[in-house]
Amino acid sequence: MSTTVPALATSRVGIDVGGTFTDLFLWSAGGEVLSAKVPTTPADPSIGVVDGLGALALLRGVALAELVAHTSAIVHGTTVTTNATLTRRGAKTGLVTTEGVRDALEMRRGIREERYDNRQKNVKPLVPRHLRLPVRERVDAHGAELVPLSEDDVRRAATLLRAEGVGAVAVCFLNAFANRSHERAAAEVLRAELPGVFVSVSSEVLPTIRFYNRVSTTVLDAYTGPVLRSYLESLTARLAGIGFRGALLIMQSSGGMALPEATLRRPAGTLLSGPAAGPRAALAFTTPHGHSSAVVCDMGGTSFDASLLRDGAVELKTEGEIDRLRVALPMLDIVTIGAGGGSLGWIDPGGLLRMGPESAGAMPGPACYGRGGERPTCTDANVALGFLDPAYFAGGRMPLHAERALRAIETHLAGPLGLSVEEAAAGMYRVINANMTHGVREITVKRGVDPRELPLVVAGGAGGLHACAIAGELEMTSVVVPAGASVLCAVGMLLADLQHDFVRSFMAPLATLVPAALAAVVGEMTSEGDELLRHEGIARGAAVHEVALDLRYLKQYHEVTVPVPAAELAPLDRAAIARRFHAEHDRLYGYELAGEGTGIELINVRVRALGRTEKPALPQRAPGGADPGHAGKGSRRAYVPARGAFAAVPVFDGHALRAGNVVAGPALVERTDTTVLVDEGWRAIVDELGSYLVERLAGGAA
Amino acid sequence: MSGEVRVDPVLVSILGRGLKAITDEMSIAMEKTTRSPILCEARDYVTGLYDGAGRMLEQTENLPILSFSLGPVCRHIVERFRGDIHPGDVFFHNDVFSLGNQNNDVAVFKPIFAPAPAASGAEPVLVGWAACKGHQADIGGAVRGGYNPDATEVWQEALRIPAVKIYDRGVLRRDVWDLIFANIRLKSVQEDMKAEIGSCTVGERRLLALVDKLGLERFEAHKLALFEATRRMMAAEVRSMPDGVYRGESVVYYDGKHEGQRYVIRVEVTIDGERIRFDYSKTDPQTRGFVNGTFTSSASATVLTFLQMVNPAMPHNEGMLGPIEIVIPEGTILNAAYPAATTYGNHLCPSNADAIVRALGPALPERVTAGWNHLLCSLTTGPDPRRGDTYVDILFMGLKGGSGATSDCDGYDHIGMIDASGGVLDQDYEMFEQMTPHLIEKHEYLVDSAGAGQYRGGLGVETRYRVGSDGTQLVVFGDGDVEPAFGLGGGGAGTLNKIELAYPDGRVYRTKGLDIVREVPAGTRYLQLAGGGGGYGSPLLRPAELVRDEVRDGVVSLAAAREQYGVALDPDTLALRADETARLRARAAAPAPGVGAAQRGG
Repeated sequence: MSTTVPALATSRVGIDVGGTFTDLFLWSAGGEVLSAKVPTTPADPSIGVVDGLGALALLRGVALAELVAHTSAIVHGTTVTTNATLTRRGAKTGLVTTEGVRDALEMRRGIREERYDNRQKNVKPLVPRHLRLPVRERVDAHGAELVPLSEDDVRRAATLLRAEGVGAVAVCFLNAFANRSHERAAAEVLRAELPGVFVSVSSEVLPTIRFYNRVSTTVLDAYTGPVLRSYLESLTARLAGIGFRGALLIMQSSGGMALPEATLRRPAGTLLSGPAAGPRAALAFTTPHGHSSAVVCDMGGTSFDASLLRDGAVELKTEGEIDRLRVALPMLDIVTIGAGGGSLGWIDPGGLLRMGPESAGAMPGPACYGRGGERPTCTDANVALGFLDPAYFAGGRMPLHAERALRAIETHLAGPLGLSVEEAAAGMYRVINANMTHGVREITVKRGVDPRELPLVVAGGAGGLHACAIAGELEMTSVVVPAGASVLCAVGMLLADLQHDFVRSFMAPLATLVPAALAAVVGEMTSEGDELLRHEGIARGAAVHEVALDLRYLKQYHEVTVPVPAAELAPLDRAAIARRFHAEHDRLYGYELAGEGTGIELINVRVRALGRTEKPALPQRAPGGADPGHAGKGSRRAYVPARGAFAAVPVFDGHALRAGNVVAGPALVERTDTTVLVDEGWRAIVDELGSYLVERLAGGAA
Repeated sequence: MSGEVRVDPVLVSILGRGLKAITDEMSIAMEKTTRSPILCEARDYVTGLYDGAGRMLEQTENLPILSFSLGPVCRHIVERFRGDIHPGDVFFHNDVFSLGNQNNDVAVFKPIFAPAPAASGAEPVLVGWAACKGHQADIGGAVRGGYNPDATEVWQEALRIPAVKIYDRGVLRRDVWDLIFANIRLKSVQEDMKAEIGSCTVGERRLLALVDKLGLERFEAHKLALFEATRRMMAAEVRSMPDGVYRGESVVYYDGKHEGQRYVIRVEVTIDGERIRFDYSKTDPQTRGFVNGTFTSSASATVLTFLQMVNPAMPHNEGMLGPIEIVIPEGTILNAAYPAATTYGNHLCPSNADAIVRALGPALPERVTAGWNHLLCSLTTGPDPRRGDTYVDILFMGLKGGSGATSDCDGYDHIGMIDASGGVLDQDYEMFEQMTPHLIEKHEYLVDSAGAGQYRGGLGVETRYRVGSDGTQLVVFGDGDVEPAFGLGGGGAGTLNKIELAYPDGRVYRTKGLDIVREVPAGTRYLQLAGGGGGYGSPLLRPAELVRDEVRDGVVSLAAAREQYGVALDPDTLALRADETARLRARAAAPAPGVGAAQRGG
């Protein structure tokens, strides 16, 4: 290497492929960070990934080959499995299942979500009925064999599926959580008969009780498997082609990462890969302020995502849905509502103003984009309210048409409602804030978490304008708008650990369960995790294991997941475990039955194997005093929500602010990627990472 | 004073949204903490908020049949306890002769008091009520589980609980509690009633926070504006329907006492401008058995059927009921007089809905559906030798048939009766085999069960299990075993319901619509068929490719494709024979009867 060019420090890159943009975040051992945003290339997202790396190279002033040669790891969040499911472009898939129950997948337990809508249709199943093939076999609820597996039936199924040209097969038998042998034997036959076909087996994907959960999850796993496999092959080849020799790691829905081979063992575990890194990233920005718990929001163009960080850990759920299809794998607990910059304002038949969930999307987009959009959106309201400077949107690269925004609001809302344009725009702002507030309430209050005790971390380009309003409505007193708010998930990918989650049904009363049997199950799952981590470069002794038990009161139907420290498992401390369960039940549902002598039963055992990775340090911003005057950009007429009126509001250049600067509300802080509204009664403090800590002043307006 | 509050239309929207969030939260608390599968798996409960006068603010109705079941009782309590309602009170209620809907549906009502403005020194103000009502697994009476087909009086069915204070100013009335639960078999019912109280506490806390934020006067003014906006929305729907007087009827075939007896539900619907009136004055008198409705159950059936004909986004508050009038004379099968047995009343909903659809179908062909499959249900109890315990199970998975098609949409498969409209869920098979000793042999769509049509009805299901212990008892109730779900506009009828037991000794017993079958031995094969919904429009107009796909999927037989749809397929390859299909369809084509020429029988 030439001595005149300083050696390029080794870097790591986080890449979040979203629906519209691919976000990248680079951190180098020298302490440098860079971020980039390039358009996503839906046909083959790996092209956008390479484009993004090219953009980073350009920013860094080096050739792509050099950047890549010095990149030790790429952590990648992908929506390929999500999109394949939503657009029904997964593999043609067959299901081999116990004779007599092949329709459970499609029936979805007979639910129609919209009770009063006789035109709501059932979801089209991922496997049509003629590819759901019954085989003779049966084990009972306790795992005893009643009917031996007919391997002839399995072979006949394989013949038919081969003729149909399927790319994937799911295997799910009744009570397989209690006895895996029939599924294993069937899978062996299918793998031999159908080489190259992706096979998912329920007792490997999700060995727990509840047939519908298992069959739905296993089918999703099979359906998305070939898509994930071919995408990862293409990505690996493309990265190799530009000279990448480092480690490629994939984000999983649980917020942990894994090698591509490991994610292919359970593709359904990547269905929420994209947003899963957000809460972990938020932690990096709340830690300087002494918070390890937070509500994390991301407001994009179409949707608003809310999730939860608790005690430094991502809040997960063990059951969720994608497009009304059940996925019972550990996944980020996220509430998504249709509220974003593109959300359309409309008047309902009762004469009330509504916002969303319909969105103008990126095309035609808000009226002020001047791309043919005629109907008023949230972004148009933000222009009409003076929050957005039409000349400075995206740093001035995309001027907005304010007059089109005003006209759209006048025509569709203000006129019919008998309001002024400004009143109507303020109304739009309040209604969409109320919608987002309910999203936050759902992820907090409904899960037994009091939002008032937590900071609100707001990401996404549009979030900063709504942060004070959402926080105020929920009586939250502090908001963090992170530096790099617009690429938060990409940042989070560099902060994730290697992680593998396992669950098994283990049904027994807590009082009488055999400690050795429990230890054996935990031991098996632990070794399986260690083996995966070993392949990922984590030495056996360095792996961390977390055990949790799914418990419930005797005869309850729903269980509560209770983390249990190793010290209470060996030797088994039943009293301590019971205390943890009572406390968790009380936290979630407002009461517990510790004093009533009600028995507790164990349903599932969960093990998480973690390989901790080195975390980058984020760069520090130059310190300055409290006075932000040097960053002042004058003022403009804008709406002050706390006053319910317009006023001359000071505007600051966010890029010029220094750590320690304090901006008193009302004020607007503009950056190229986002604008923050500091309402009256609030102030923003710039912290050492360049984030804004927006705090409500004592006695400040809610 | 409240007249001085300026109503902010934006705040009205926000208030409506906020109230919905509260009743949803109350519902989740119920689902997660109750024990009876009827509550936590099937979600047979409703949560709601009412104002100080008992007017509906918002509800979360997991089952639409409960949509109208809390408000009337709330008003009854407000009247009956006027001057004696205090902070910390909690009421229980199930009594069908004071506006309860069904004996097993036991409600909790909790008054919500807001503190008066600090300076005023006045007493706290009653701003609303939180309420929750769930179907309890047992409510005393002669038969475990509550459905007693032999009952002729309410006391043979259930413990009556007229509105009673179970907490008085925050203090549990232990004696009253003990009196009630001394008359109920299952201890778990106590736990599930605690969950109902917990749900109301959740509602109370959240409504108070909302009132506190808005201030009492603004809350009251905006609440009235919300009612008015919803009333306008419903009025606009009714105005868009053609004025006129429309009549329809349906038949209830069996009262549990007299085989072959028929009872007719007759409804006269009058649409006049923005008002709609449902008048059941010509309906037959009440029965001597338990096949009788209560005013509340029948009014609920009416409201939920009508709600399915209007914009599904309609908020559920008092305003929605403004344009609707319901007349059900006492002494009819839909509003039985004291002290009649009425536990079956909720299950008259499907017949009631049929009468309404037959009345309004000709006027509103695009808003109605063809007939839905009716409920036929078995409640099973018995010992579980594996655990030395007994169980109670309602076989929800077996009872859910198909819905009727609309003018542009197939019916919904395996949705279940209209009173639940897809709100009641199947038990999970593996949970079923843990909780009962039975072994599932089959649970699949029933071939050829859907009424044929340009839009077909929803599919029914076939359920088979092997009885796992001696001493099993089935309580069967329902219908749809005499008359199938009707088609509309030339669409065909669905199939009939049936429950049949094949005993180990070879004997086969087909149950009656209302029946108790005792001492069923282990090894008996249980079979249940839940029929499909009615089709809409001529089956000859259904695209032949769609019919072929459904033959390939095995939900339509080759024979039915040919005979009902006029579609000819190659029996081996299932390839469409286009010429033959055209011939079959031309031959079968006859002038399609208009909508409203409902097809009967099958």
